Amino acid sequence: MTDQEIIAQWQAQDAPLLPVLHAIHDRDGYLSDDAIRAVSKGLGIPLAELFGTVTFYHHFARSKPGHSAPRVCTGNVCSLNGGLEILEALKSEGATPMPCSGRCDDMVPVLRGDQVLVGHTADTLQHRPTPIPAPNSGGLEECVFRHIRAPQRNTLAGFRATSGYAGLEKAVTSSPADLVALITDSKLAGRGGAGFPTGLKWKAVAEASGVPKSIVCNADEGEPGCFKDRAIMDFDPHALLEGMLLAAYATGAPRGFIYLRYEYPETARSLQTAIDEAAAAGFLGENILGVSGFHFHLRIIRGAGAYICGEEGSLLNSMEGKHPFPRNRPPFPVTHGFEDLPTVVNNVETLASASHIARKGAEWYRGLGLGEHVGTKVISLSGDIQRPGNYEVPFGFSLQTLLHDWAGGPPPGRNIQAVTMAGLSGGFLAGDDLDVTLDEPCIRSKGSFLGAGGIMVFDDSRDMVQVAHDAMAFFAHESCGKCFPCRIGTQRLTERLNGLGPKKFPAWQEEVNDIGSVMKATSACGLGMAAPLVTESLLRYFPDAIELHLSPPQ
Amino acid sequence: MSNPLRDMEHPDVIFCIGTNMTECHPVAATRLKKAIAKGAKMIVADPREIHLAKLADLHLPIRVGSDVALLLAMAHVIAREGLIDREFMDARTADGEAFLAHVRDFTPEWASPICEIPAADIETAALWFGCGKPSAIYYTLGITEHICGVDNVQSLCNLALMTGNLGIEGGGINPMRGQNNIQGAGDCGAVPNNFPGFQPCDNPEFAAKFSEAYRTDIEAIRGITKVTALDLCGKEEGGIHAILIDGENTVVTDPDMNHCRHALQSLDHLVVIDLFLTETAQLADVVFPATGFAETDGVQTNTERRVQRLRAAVPAVGESKPDWWIVSQIAKRMGTPGFEFESAKEVFNELCSLSPIYAGLDWDRIENSEYQWPVPHKDHPGTPRLHEQEFKNGRGLFKIIGYRDPAEVIDREFPVWLTTGRRLQSYHSRTQTGRSEGIDYLLSEETLEVNPDDAKAWSLADGEFVKMASRRGEIQIKVRVTDCSPKGTVFASFSFASVPVNILTGSGYDPVTQTAELKVCPVRIAKI
Amino acid sequence: MHQVADNTRTCTMTLGGGSVNFREGETIYEVAERHRKEVPTLCYDPRLEAFGACRLCVVEVEGIRNPVASCTTKATEGMVVRTRTPVLDKHRTTLLELVASENRNTKVDSLSGYASQEFGNLLDRYPVRAGRFAGKKSGTSNTDDKNPFILRDYENCISCYRCVRVCAEQEGDHAINVMNRGFHTQIITEFNNDLRDSSCTFCGQCVATCPTGALGDKKALRAKDTPGEIKKTRSVCPYCGVGCSVDILTKGDRVVGIHPAMDGPANEGALCVKGQYAFDFVHHPDRLTKPLIKQPDGTFREAEWDEALQKAADGFLKVREKYGNHATYGIASGRAPHEAAYTMQKFIRATYGTNYIDNCSRA
Repeated sequence: MTDQEIIAQWQAQDAPLLPVLHAIHDRDGYLSDDAIRAVSKGLGIPLAELFGTVTFYHHFARSKPGHSAPRVCTGNVCSLNGGLEILEALKSEGATPMPCSGRCDDMVPVLRGDQVLVGHTADTLQHRPTPIPAPNSGGLEECVFRHIRAPQRNTLAGFRATSGYAGLEKAVTSSPADLVALITDSKLAGRGGAGFPTGLKWKAVAEASGVPKSIVCNADEGEPGCFKDRAIMDFDPHALLEGMLLAAYATGAPRGFIYLRYEYPETARSLQTAIDEAAAAGFLGENILGVSGFHFHLRIIRGAGAYICGEEGSLLNSMEGKHPFPRNRPPFPVTHGFEDLPTVVNNVETLASASHIARKGAEWYRGLGLGEHVGTKVISLSGDIQRPGNYEVPFGFSLQTLLHDWAGGPPPGRNIQAVTMAGLSGGFLAGDDLDVTLDEPCIRSKGSFLGAGGIMVFDDSRDMVQVAHDAMAFFAHESCGKCFPCRIGTQRLTERLNGLGPKKFPAWQEEVNDIGSVMKATSACGLGMAAPLVTESLLRYFPDAIELHLSPPQ
Repeated sequence: MSNPLRDMEHPDVIFCIGTNMTECHPVAATRLKKAIAKGAKMIVADPREIHLAKLADLHLPIRVGSDVALLLAMAHVIAREGLIDREFMDARTADGEAFLAHVRDFTPEWASPICEIPAADIETAALWFGCGKPSAIYYTLGITEHICGVDNVQSLCNLALMTGNLGIEGGGINPMRGQNNIQGAGDCGAVPNNFPGFQPCDNPEFAAKFSEAYRTDIEAIRGITKVTALDLCGKEEGGIHAILIDGENTVVTDPDMNHCRHALQSLDHLVVIDLFLTETAQLADVVFPATGFAETDGVQTNTERRVQRLRAAVPAVGESKPDWWIVSQIAKRMGTPGFEFESAKEVFNELCSLSPIYAGLDWDRIENSEYQWPVPHKDHPGTPRLHEQEFKNGRGLFKIIGYRDPAEVIDREFPVWLTTGRRLQSYHSRTQTGRSEGIDYLLSEETLEVNPDDAKAWSLADGEFVKMASRRGEIQIKVRVTDCSPKGTVFASFSFASVPVNILTGSGYDPVTQTAELKVCPVRIAKI
Repeated sequence: MHQVADNTRTCTMTLGGGSVNFREGETIYEVAERHRKEVPTLCYDPRLEAFGACRLCVVEVEGIRNPVASCTTKATEGMVVRTRTPVLDKHRTTLLELVASENRNTKVDSLSGYASQEFGNLLDRYPVRAGRFAGKKSGTSNTDDKNPFILRDYENCISCYRCVRVCAEQEGDHAINVMNRGFHTQIITEFNNDLRDSSCTFCGQCVATCPTGALGDKKALRAKDTPGEIKKTRSVCPYCGVGCSVDILTKGDRVVGIHPAMDGPANEGALCVKGQYAFDFVHHPDRLTKPLIKQPDGTFREAEWDEALQKAADGFLKVREKYGNHATYGIASGRAPHEAAYTMQKFIRATYGTNYIDNCSRA
């Protein structure tokens, strides 16, 4: 297809920019000046703005080989598992590094074209399905993973065979308000990390004025060490669709988008299959389930490599074809979301949970938590652990039990030195603070947070200053560059973990603390607020390692 | 302008016709861009695909000189679709019924071949304009520099009147004035038909008023226009034999340069006041050095009738003097009374005392530029928006206007339309921009803009010099191939002395205002 | 630009300990500005949509854990806001130290541009320790861009995006934007070309809003080493009929630059390439400095005023004597001030009793 044909195909649709850029990028392998000019003209985006936006995304190449060149994961876990070596070995093919690409429960992933290969070395790269979550050894009742291992669950038939879409069928026999009340009653809260009550969000959108409304699924799982949404979408995609349909019914939104991270090309294909199946069966489209006026159309919007696009304001700007800076809040997406219209932005896990809640009820869901805690959380566990993978645990579950009993503990002969929380955003827990339960109140009492539920394990062979440096380098790489404390702060903290800055510990500490405190207090979004937890927790647990870093033995 | 500049951010529908605003009034254009960003729709009627046209939702690339046909057809559609503001027409206008009857025949299909644009686009433009709440009209010399300039303006008035878009925020009919104080020159009575403050010369009451004020006997007859005066230069019978020119490079900026030069050369006495020894000043018997921008205290009025103070920031260069001082000194030496001015302030205050629209102003009151005339008395806040309550002469009159061809149309001998204009980086004859460092980096020479298809048909290459001739003369000019020009029409500005485009122009004049048809000139183009 | 309608509700809040009124829809920053709280900022320009990048304007709001950016937060009824506390001062100082650490120069000549001293002034206002947070510098200066007007010294850029925003929101040109992200952001034109090859119109708005002098007025900076104080004189642009207010910058007897007047009613801070940069004609060597009289051989000679004026007057008297009152014509200027046009028309009418006067509007 020519540029013009591609543009013509998309320009009348919602959120046309990323699909157009991807189509051209897939065709040519990169985005040429001429292509950018054509898109600028066709979509009415000023040329300089479009050029700037293109350069924002990690995966848009401006020259060959671009799309077909290997991109090797050098995330925190993969860099410990051979990622750097694979990158070096593939340099001659134009290989470039990419930040954590959400496959930490597997061998090192290498993205080539639209395929993900995995391997421990460059010679042994192979294509294989992503790992399916193992049943938990505690035999605890699950919500999100309840049917994920059922045969053919990722097909419409398999999904239907395990009560799929039953929740939706039940919900539409009652009013949207009843559905909102049910979700509110379940106390389901956002599983992407922010933990905002889902029922409240749906209610706000249902009551907000302005049409058409939108349901946006945030599937930009960019947090290092998080790969739970990938598992849900790969093995239980209809559960996500059902969750989105429930949100659509509850709020009256006729359009839905799944904003999927670029690094999940296979997921994009399997999701599209699910969407096509659902549409063919009448679960998407007009007058769904015979309910007059219940319309919902769903599309996948592929990201292009930008962690910040997991922040909902950036995500919405990205969808709208704008520079993906976070938005100032308020107003919030519930009133001013996609195209400044009321929008639900929910994480994959949240929406999948909703599909089970709609069928099994609020009381059932609340009862899944331990003690006073409500519901479950999928934890993505990776790093120096014998059985990495996704585990659905009840809130209030013991971290130590998860690490040692369920996941087999550290490699033989090793001890766990530290774990990260919330992927990287929660910084580290170590020492006695590993004796926590997996719920926000407990983790927050240790100065961290559970967030999206990514936990990376580092055993006692690891240099924690190096780990912290790599973490901060990730944040610096992904800082959008809008707000000053994050843009400069992540850079300066990275440098201070890399031998620059004061050489004496007290001065080093003062600078790092000052930067951290201004970032936490004044950053415009969660990235800048969370990044200093890395240095803060490093100082808390590993002051000696820092001293050693500042004055290594001669 | 009927409306203030800030209103330009508030129209619902913008109709720009014959204005290259982003180049000629760039700062005003920024306001339109803001309106567009807020959702306003813009229609641009201009033969060329100027930058404004690129910003427009609808561009009507009309054939040069066909404006009246377009406007008649738009009025036709507005009337046919019942988009007229009946209440406004009944309350505030006259002769509306006759006008509505008149436009009944002028369909878009009728206008389409004349304007060389699709009838459907005319239809769309009319529907948008008719539905806009409010719709605003902006125009410049692309409307007035035609033999039918007055007809063009009145056709625009008809559109605004029939849709009730006058006297309201974000509406109006808004000519953008070209020079920094061209509005002021009119305000001050430097016109043959009006005394200061637009008090008609042919009204004996005003002639008497000024005769008394000026201690002489002024005839109650309109004077001749500059165009007529130049035609009469050197003539024995009723001829003009002396001219005093203040700050105008007549030879370069006026049409038919050869005729103009000849006229000035035939005078017994020519005195020019200017900053530079311009092409015009070179013909003078005596040249006086005037102070200019940054050296002169004074007043000027902008396009929205805002009366603003100029202030001297540096001492006069050399022995240069303010224009008013020079003129006064000549007058005094000729024995004319009333020129004992000691300061710009005294001159301005005398103007205020004689001009009803400035009656509420004086030198000290305009310190902060907050007044837009008319300001009829000292307690008056000024008039940002004209026609809010009523029109000056009671009712807004519809005018019955028909289309006519330009003075010269293309034929076998001169088969190409030349239209002229200005460019962002240069101002008029470049007496100022041409003498400012850096401007050359952006625009170093004049070029003739030719459509790629024409260039191909005429075997012209980009950058090639060609001969371009009209019935009045011939020049050489470098070709620039660009989509900006439509097929069959070429464009050049008159800014560069090395490319004296106005040798070619001057095919005709508006019978009422005697404004020259600078926008239309059939030419032929030949390789050298 | 953020505009609050005149008819909105009046509310009350507590600001820095005192009770103040505000109109619904106003931001905390706007209210604080009006009450002269001197909240610091680097990314704010009152003509632009609030952006919330520099975070210097953060204030404490009772009931909210973290400080909020006052420029992007609307004031609400009963809100209790503190604009200065030791904690806020500390944050602001740290932020300024961080910003200073990425730039090469923190002091630039004030001829650089209208807002060029903002950053330096803030560094003076807070107890900033020089040399803190040393590390990599950000930004790459575009010294290859040979345009004669706009200095692009991005080594002093702090990525506040005022230039990008003013170009888009005020000027509507969208000529510049930001490339890359994080610490590697860089202000660029499309494909990182020179300004001349972009949609830039050289209006100078980006220079006028730049708070660090990273974008500088090359023409004004020619006079950097000229001795003398910079004086500003308010006047009006000499070009088109829009009538933009300008501040003429002078050093001694020379015009050295033009600043747009932010409170100019016609332009509200905007100018175009001509108004901003085409002022050299004032001191151009071609300027006439003495009256000229044409000699019989057709050349001019310089003359004293008295002689030239008398010659001019005699010429007119002679023509009147020979041909009467209807043989002399006056052409006034649309470029000169009222006083010129007024005396011109009065000269004709009072001397000849005719209305033989016109101006160049027919051209």
